[in-house]
Amino acid sequence: MTEKTLPYTPKDLCNRFLESVRHSAVLGLEVVSATKDSVRLRMPWREDLVGNPETGVVHGGAIFAMMDQAGGMAITCRNFPTFEITPTIDFRVDHLRSPGKGKAVVCEAICYRLTNHVAFVSVTTWEEGGDDEPVATGLATYTRLQINKAGAMVGQ
Amino acid sequence: MKALKTLIEECRSGKAEYQALIDRVPYARFLGIQVVAQGDELTFVLPKHDNVIGNPTLPALHGGAVAGFMEQAAIIFILLQMGEPKVPKTIDFTIDYLRAGLFRDTYAQCSVTRLGRRIANVHISAWQKNRQEPITIARAHFLLSDDTSPEITG
Repeated sequence: MTEKTLPYTPKDLCNRFLESVRHSAVLGLEVVSATKDSVRLRMPWREDLVGNPETGVVHGGAIFAMMDQAGGMAITCRNFPTFEITPTIDFRVDHLRSPGKGKAVVCEAICYRLTNHVAFVSVTTWEEGGDDEPVATGLATYTRLQINKAGAMVGQ
Repeated sequence: MKALKTLIEECRSGKAEYQALIDRVPYARFLGIQVVAQGDELTFVLPKHDNVIGNPTLPALHGGAVAGFMEQAAIIFILLQMGEPKVPKTIDFTIDYLRAGLFRDTYAQCSVTRLGRRIANVHISAWQKNRQEPITIARAHFLLSDDTSPEITG
């Protein structure tokens, strides 16, 4: 089966994810782009995601959730159309500077190494429109659980 | 809105509930975070609800929601220890996922490994069934002050 014969693209798959993953849906995440090489997600600024009421800056936890979601999707897209479940093993995020109040953030996740059991991912987040200065960077590992023909998870 | 310092003093002296501190933060209300105080010991709670679900088929909690919960727990925990309380900025946050977060209430406790003048190092542990079996552990650094007094630069 090749990508061309499939009725859906990696981006369609990511959009379907966002619809079914409730927490990502309520965060307001949107798929900007999704290819075998990288996934970009966008999170609009929203009052209820603010971490510091005095500055209006969005909470690091919301940014983390977006980056974690994008990381998982980057692995899915790299494996496309084979589908795997990829729980996060560990994730580190560095907050380089605060995104502005009212500004959407966009992240790009790249799965830069895939071994039999582990996927290595890097994620960079920018304020929308300010593509040269990241607000956050992240490095993560995920474990790969294949789904066998019986629909059961194997691996780990 | 009541000044942060006043509210913290009232929490410390028992005049205000710790929950009031959490409810100041929009994202903490979004996640539905609660706090239970037993003496000086604080346990943070992420009650199970639909909005924090990640995997709908298991169902399991979203790892990002658990991480955000832990980060916010640490922020409140440090605020309560600061002489001149100012919302700390997260420098970095590192989390290890040890077990699946099932669709049930999640608890977290924090311990400050080092509270310096400018930087705090905090360890956070989250569990569901019992404290000895954490679902996640995390370590974070927070910037406590943006002040650049000459004695501590360089």
